[in-house]
Amino acid sequence: MTAATLFQSILASLPEIVVVTGACVLLILGQLVPKGQGHFLVWASAATVLVAALATLLLAGEVRPAYSGMFIVDRFAVFFKMVFYLSTILTFLLSRKYAEIEEIASSEYYVLLLFALSGMMIMASATDLLSIYVGLELMALSTYVLTGFLRKERRSNEAALKYVVLGGVSTGIFLYGVSLIYGITGTTQLDGMAAAVTGDPLDPGLLLAVVFIVAGLVFKVGAVPFHMWVPDVYEGAPTTITAFMSVAPKAAGFAVILRVFLNPLVAASDAWIIVAVIAVVTMALGSFVALVQDNFKRLLAYSSIAHAGFALFGVVAGGADGIAGVMLYLLIYAFMNLGIFGIVIMMRNGDFSGEVIEDYAGFAKSHRGLALLMLLYLFSLAGIPPTAGFFAKFYVLVALVERGFVTLAVIAVLLSAVAAYFYIRIVMVIYMREPERAFEPALTPSVRATLALTAAGTIGIGLFPAWFLRLAQSSVFGG
Amino acid sequence: MAFPLLSLIVFIPAAGAAVLMLLRNDDQVRWTALGVTVLDFALCIVMLAGFDTTTHEMQFTETRPWVPALGITYALGIDGISALFVFLTALLGWICVLASWVAIDRKVKEFMVSLLAMQALMLGVFCALDLFLFYVFWEAMLIPMYVIIGVWGGDGRVYAAFKFFLYTLAGSLLFLIGVIVLYFHGGETFDIRALMAQDLPFRVQSWLFFAFLIAFAVKVPMVPVHTWLPDAHVQAPTAGSIILAGVLLKMGAYGFLRFSLPMLPEASLYYSTLMLSLSALAIVYGGLLALAQDDLKKLVAYSSISHMGFVTLGIFTLNLRGLEGGILQMFNHGVTTGALFLFVGLIYERTHSRSIADYGGLMKAAPVYTAFLALFTLSSMALPGTNSFVGELLVLSGAFAANLAVGAAAVLGALLGAAYLLGMYRKVALGPASIGVRFKIRDVNARELVAILPLAVFVLWVGLYPKPFLNIIGPSVRHLLTQVHSNGGGQ
Repeated sequence: MTAATLFQSILASLPEIVVVTGACVLLILGQLVPKGQGHFLVWASAATVLVAALATLLLAGEVRPAYSGMFIVDRFAVFFKMVFYLSTILTFLLSRKYAEIEEIASSEYYVLLLFALSGMMIMASATDLLSIYVGLELMALSTYVLTGFLRKERRSNEAALKYVVLGGVSTGIFLYGVSLIYGITGTTQLDGMAAAVTGDPLDPGLLLAVVFIVAGLVFKVGAVPFHMWVPDVYEGAPTTITAFMSVAPKAAGFAVILRVFLNPLVAASDAWIIVAVIAVVTMALGSFVALVQDNFKRLLAYSSIAHAGFALFGVVAGGADGIAGVMLYLLIYAFMNLGIFGIVIMMRNGDFSGEVIEDYAGFAKSHRGLALLMLLYLFSLAGIPPTAGFFAKFYVLVALVERGFVTLAVIAVLLSAVAAYFYIRIVMVIYMREPERAFEPALTPSVRATLALTAAGTIGIGLFPAWFLRLAQSSVFGG
Repeated sequence: MAFPLLSLIVFIPAAGAAVLMLLRNDDQVRWTALGVTVLDFALCIVMLAGFDTTTHEMQFTETRPWVPALGITYALGIDGISALFVFLTALLGWICVLASWVAIDRKVKEFMVSLLAMQALMLGVFCALDLFLFYVFWEAMLIPMYVIIGVWGGDGRVYAAFKFFLYTLAGSLLFLIGVIVLYFHGGETFDIRALMAQDLPFRVQSWLFFAFLIAFAVKVPMVPVHTWLPDAHVQAPTAGSIILAGVLLKMGAYGFLRFSLPMLPEASLYYSTLMLSLSALAIVYGGLLALAQDDLKKLVAYSSISHMGFVTLGIFTLNLRGLEGGILQMFNHGVTTGALFLFVGLIYERTHSRSIADYGGLMKAAPVYTAFLALFTLSSMALPGTNSFVGELLVLSGAFAANLAVGAAAVLGALLGAAYLLGMYRKVALGPASIGVRFKIRDVNARELVAILPLAVFVLWVGLYPKPFLNIIGPSVRHLLTQVHSNGGGQ
């Protein structure tokens, strides 16, 4: 590798380098900062992310392949990185007060979030099964630790252990698939794979490899049949981390899924049938099981499974509209889901956990504005216009029908009618019941800012989707 | 671009709702809501004054790009059919505010905000000329209506609100798929006028017809998907019932008129017998159910099912008299049943009982109330001289021309209507005064009279001189018929 190409590679991965360096520096600085100066860490971490975002935008002008085909900076990667930056910064803002209340406000907390962010960024840019693996593991290892951050709580420890074990197995399966691919095609590069296949694309060996890779990837987005970890981990993890995990790593998983699945080799192997089945079952399971949940975090966990199922429908549809549909869906989901989690996080104050749905009875009576925001997020999650959640679903459905998958579209909407029930049940609890206690939400300025931003996104994209739609459509690779 | 009158009509209530959120005092909220709805109504009169009754073309049109990548535009416009319902919605808007003046005594601000939001969305549904825009308005209505029933309703409000929400949502989601399929078959546009000009293959039309049918039949509601209606009506506050009966139910029928008939003419002709039979079933079955009710509100609710059966019957006769009668009957039902729900609400405010058995001899205690009640009851059973007579007569003559058996069933339904309505009136208004009721009843006051009078005026106006109303809808109906019969393949 010559110095010039090396420089080009470093330039292309500059945002990742910024985040990793920032994380390392903060790790050291964190030990020197005196207690009670926690806000310094928050702002320094946020600044790191902002610098990385700036670098990403400056480099977004052209497509930059780097590290001999392992890595690429294209508009697709830039779009996903922006989703990651957004959700990470919002998580920082939400964490500030919550971390103090839960006594987990150490520098490692923020540093691990930054490492997870860099892992996701690598995933979005990876064009080789091995660089995908590196990014995946960097993200996964950081989230394992973050899940167990409530050290004194059994639930948190249990969740972390479950997550590590299941995550390890899924990574093993993924790697096994990669090794099979390498054995058959002699390469791990996504572009090279398709070119290397000369024979029948339905070769059983290839099919097996694809199935293994699918299994490894759907684990990360929490799709059936590898969803079992989601409710336990979501419930046990600190709520801020749950909020983060439900949005950013899921988006990263979809970034990889899109890159891998729309590869000509996988596309030729009829893998879409597998994905279609997974999508239907995932959405059905998420929607139906969420109906009987009493714990807010578990309910949101199943809701996130259902949403992953809906986004997978976009993967099934494929094509430029399908990919753009998934991307837009994930962006909108980031806004509305961080919004509703922001409310749950804010409710955690004193000895009040705010984790049980019944805790919110009559919330609208004393906190009209916050209840209205909840109403907005919940109807958006349910997909009712004019919120952004509706447009997200609408566009995926358009992509499905465009490809002729009308039956799948019908299944998708019927399941979203089921899902609507448990969202409006929460609306019922907050609006139609009498309050049993006084609420004292921890409404700090940073939480306010998060809620304002997510609400603006949820209603703004719903009313004026044109710009965001164009952004997603122009960010589709090769389309 | 011309003055955006329709946008103004649609968004004034929405802007009013935003203003209400800033107010603190309940009385201020009430007066502001009233002011906004009256202003909206005044604009509607301006709109009707400038309405050209000689053409079937869309008028007052506005078009702006909204999501160009998908061919979605923000397009508003009205023809004769929608003009009538825009007017009806605006009329019932301020009547609803008056009906809730004292009936809603807690969370007044939230209620009025929901009511105005509802108003804006309903007007949007009738004005939209873009299918996507239409769907957004159509579906967004679920949010305020769910809240209105669920928060301010009766004891079983939560159940009723859920049932209403899920029924309508399930129906409209299939409609959404239909809309997207139509989008791809109709040349990637959501423009309603362009889609009307498409000639789709019959197989596609059939599928779409049933996808649309589910959504619209739930809203109308047609038997057998009517079961949400009694619950929602009985539990909803008075204003909620008025909106439901007066406007929401019309949207299903409006959907048939705006989408099923002109866009899917072959399928509409092919399945018209099925639709006629379902309508006749609704007329008779709704009437029989109403006959057995002791709850006043339930009685009016079931009578709605029966009366909406006349509407769908008229529409699917697919002849001029039937269609004109059906559309006029939509307007009439909005006025008359809206008034009946208002009357049930008025008496309930006083006695907190809706059971017919608790009443009797109301005529002595509240003569003005019972006099108007008589008028609206007679109107509901289509006595000559009232509005429904004109509508039902047109529908029946259309129905007999289309299908003898269905016409006969409809006549039977009309007879049933006379039976349960007169029975109700006799038990409530005539006879000896019941002891429990006599001392509590106070006659209608000025505010209530203001809400009642315009409805009474329309009952008699349409009943005695329906020509202006038929003039408004005439050209559009005739155009609709040519669309159905010329594209429907020589039947």
